[in-house]
Amino acid sequence: MATVTATRLRAAGLALWGLVLLRAFADGRLALLLRDVFHPLVNLAGMVLLMLAVGLLLPLGRQSATIGPARRRDWLTLAASTLIALLLVLLPPNPSFADLAQQRPVDDTADAELTFVLPPAQRSLTDWVRLLRNQADPRLFSGEPASISGFVLPREDGPPLLARLLVRCCLADATPVGLAVRWPSDRPLPKRDQWLQIEGVMAVQAAPQGEELVLVPRRIQPIQRPRRPLEP
Amino acid sequence: MVAPAWLPTAWALFQGLLIEAMPFLLIGVLISGLASWLAPGGQWLRKLPTHPLLGPLAGAGLGFALPACECGNVPVARRMLVAGAPLDGALGFLFAAPVLNPIVIASTWAAFPDQPWLLLARPLGAVVVAFSLCRLLALLPEEQLLQPDVLAERRLNQPLSAVTLLQRRGGLVGPEPASPAVASTRPPLLDVLHHSSGELLQLALLLVGGCALAAMVQTLLPRQWLLQLGGAPTGSILALMALSLVISVCSSVDAFLALSFAAQVTPGALLAFLLLGPVIDLKLVGLLGLLLRPKGLALASGGALLTVLLIGQWVNLWRL
Repeated sequence: MATVTATRLRAAGLALWGLVLLRAFADGRLALLLRDVFHPLVNLAGMVLLMLAVGLLLPLGRQSATIGPARRRDWLTLAASTLIALLLVLLPPNPSFADLAQQRPVDDTADAELTFVLPPAQRSLTDWVRLLRNQADPRLFSGEPASISGFVLPREDGPPLLARLLVRCCLADATPVGLAVRWPSDRPLPKRDQWLQIEGVMAVQAAPQGEELVLVPRRIQPIQRPRRPLEP
Repeated sequence: MVAPAWLPTAWALFQGLLIEAMPFLLIGVLISGLASWLAPGGQWLRKLPTHPLLGPLAGAGLGFALPACECGNVPVARRMLVAGAPLDGALGFLFAAPVLNPIVIASTWAAFPDQPWLLLARPLGAVVVAFSLCRLLALLPEEQLLQPDVLAERRLNQPLSAVTLLQRRGGLVGPEPASPAVASTRPPLLDVLHHSSGELLQLALLLVGGCALAAMVQTLLPRQWLLQLGGAPTGSILALMALSLVISVCSSVDAFLALSFAAQVTPGALLAFLLLGPVIDLKLVGLLGLLLRPKGLALASGGALLTVLLIGQWVNLWRL
């Protein structure tokens, strides 16, 4: 059997990492892990890694005599890289958004990022929260129609909120925003982490801090987690 | 066997941290490899100042020329160390460059446009931290500070006037060559690729360990607990320092994350968060362990914690 050079093993390792990044880009999991702006960077890194792997195998020039056959350390590195790559590919991420949200402080920066106001029916949950931060009087929005989606986030001091996670870089820095919902009294409360699409009208209700805007549902539809569940 | 309920969330956090960091690690290794190909022998690195004050400042200033976040600058700092650069210069770069680079300064400005003091205090604080760590780590002999493989390669590239023959385990014996022509021969591209790829694979595995640790701690330690400590001046600094260690987010975006809780914490705590994370966090421990021996790593971590705490206290005295 021909001796395997360390270069070939390293090429295999680079190719593995490149494929992991490209696979993450292709299978849509990046939408669950990173902010959109980083997706092309991951894709580019995957392609560069593959190109480097190919470059290592091509006779680009004279190779010095210092590069010899693969050593035990090279094999171990490749074995560990392969194991991690397999785990990453075979076990896609499936986080509990409610768990993540409950561990983190509520995002209070949304007011700084509001640039324009959409018509009520087109506002997302995050748009509503940002709008409320800018216009502290919830009565201004009472009676407006709303159609929003989010996951069910239980809270200790009241019925569950409908929530979204805002992300600046990756899931590690995600912070929640939530909107109160007047859940129908004739039905059980929805389960945590359940994604819902709710259509209804906004109303005002008493809250410990004064008054708060609450969504009164006309129609509640369970939905799959959206393809892009994180919001910037 | 049923997996713990927290495991899927920790696994997703791990993937998020790892996949976000890999491109930056690649950028760092590419910069390091390109530098070794374009400037073989690293002669210019050896010309960095050795002065106790100018050395760290020069290294820190290189961050503007080699913009990389804290994952990416580890391979670049390693390259500086093995090329024989003065220790202060390489460590100054390692500890300050993740903040002193255009991307991080721009992101800090974008996140806090209404707090100009922070735009000044963050780079200044990073220089103070880097300078303090350089002086602190200079107390250790290089044999106790640097990993053996880094040290061995470094000795080969240091001038004989700086290293005794006993400290070198190979290389030239006798008077130093008059001309650096041999040392500056450009290595074959394949050699550079070979070494850079080995370095990248090694760093990637260390990064995996760091991300796994950070993801697990983040999942098991609710962030609210830390922020609830954040009311008191000192308590808030300590809480935010602990948070930056745990979150392990890239320095190019940590200002946006800090924005989400800036209103709940003291100004000193906010600055402490922005200063400590780029120097040391759970994700970085493995990567820094490639350069520094455990004693050096412990000293650097302790020194960084203390310096950042003092800076935070001073800022609270000034701003509160």
